[in-house]
Amino acid sequence: MTRAWLPHAILRAASLLAPSEQRAEWLNGWRSELWYIPPHRAARFCLGAFRDAIWVRRNSERPARRTAFRFESPLSCLAFLTFAATVSGAIVVCLPAPDTVGMLLIFAPTLLPARLTIGWGASRRRPAPWPNRLRRGIFLLLKRALVQPVMLCGFAAMIRIGPAAALPTQLANYALWFLTLRWALSDQRNRCPVCLRLLTEPVRMGAPSQTFLEWYGSESACSRGHGLLQTSEMPASYSAAPEWHRLDDSWSGLFPPAAEVRQR
Amino acid sequence: MTDRPGLSYASATILQALSAGYIYGYTAMEATGLPSGTVYPALRRLEGDQLIRSQWERPSAADAALRPPRRYYKLTRSGETALEVLRKRHPLLAKLAPNEEVQDV
Repeated sequence: MTRAWLPHAILRAASLLAPSEQRAEWLNGWRSELWYIPPHRAARFCLGAFRDAIWVRRNSERPARRTAFRFESPLSCLAFLTFAATVSGAIVVCLPAPDTVGMLLIFAPTLLPARLTIGWGASRRRPAPWPNRLRRGIFLLLKRALVQPVMLCGFAAMIRIGPAAALPTQLANYALWFLTLRWALSDQRNRCPVCLRLLTEPVRMGAPSQTFLEWYGSESACSRGHGLLQTSEMPASYSAAPEWHRLDDSWSGLFPPAAEVRQR
Repeated sequence: MTDRPGLSYASATILQALSAGYIYGYTAMEATGLPSGTVYPALRRLEGDQLIRSQWERPSAADAALRPPRRYYKLTRSGETALEVLRKRHPLLAKLAPNEEVQDV
């Protein structure tokens, strides 16, 4: 018996990997092709859709999203985290958590400094001034300190519901821990090392089929014109870490003045 | 660039299949023996490199046959040039038999 729903279900699941703005067109193309496939080969044919959807996601240009949760300036990012930490702290105090100090000790190692690989190639040749490095370090430390109450709040809430579902609670706890730290680090990597604003205007560079002595990936720019961050999508010995290219003053005419950027 | 050192053998086979008249994704799959997860991303990549171009079949033709329209692919001029270079590098490509059921789209 041929299960006719299975190929369509596979395509529907694979379509979730495709970018949302191209999903309908992508799904339409695959469904159209599916019509011509013999039923006994349809499911196997549709399994390739996952790889295709991943390819489309990796290689399509996505417009930069400007949402309420995109904090371009470092101050707005820290202000939001302070607010979230305050609310989370209040919730933790209200919840009858068993051992708050013990939980704080669990999260303490997440405050340890992490080595960021941004711009290692460039920094070896021309290291950033120490005030910039100090400011970046303080910003990262503050972010990681301010996410602790949020993680603690999640942990306390999970302890409350833990007896009902122990394993899912533990998994959710690890996921929360991992995702929060991942956000803190990826946010740091996507910021200008000079002004700590989020990098904008990502553009694709290179072609995936031409990687012989070349690279392909994306390039983002600081909105104040401090530099460009080039990130390779295929790590190689010469492009393993994102590379920061500082722009000198001769480029300043291409970027809006700082006052205008501050209003965004 | 005419020499295209970055093109894999799979991409070369797909280019040859399209050139031989297997102009749809599925027929190119059948001709090359490659899985769908290889062929469709390769077609997108080749199109991005402007070696091939794709177009949807005329809706009237598909409607007349009571079937959905298909996307078909054709080599561009630079794709043909690249394929010529690849044929010299991979002589076995020429063994791919041409499709005799090429439809007018």
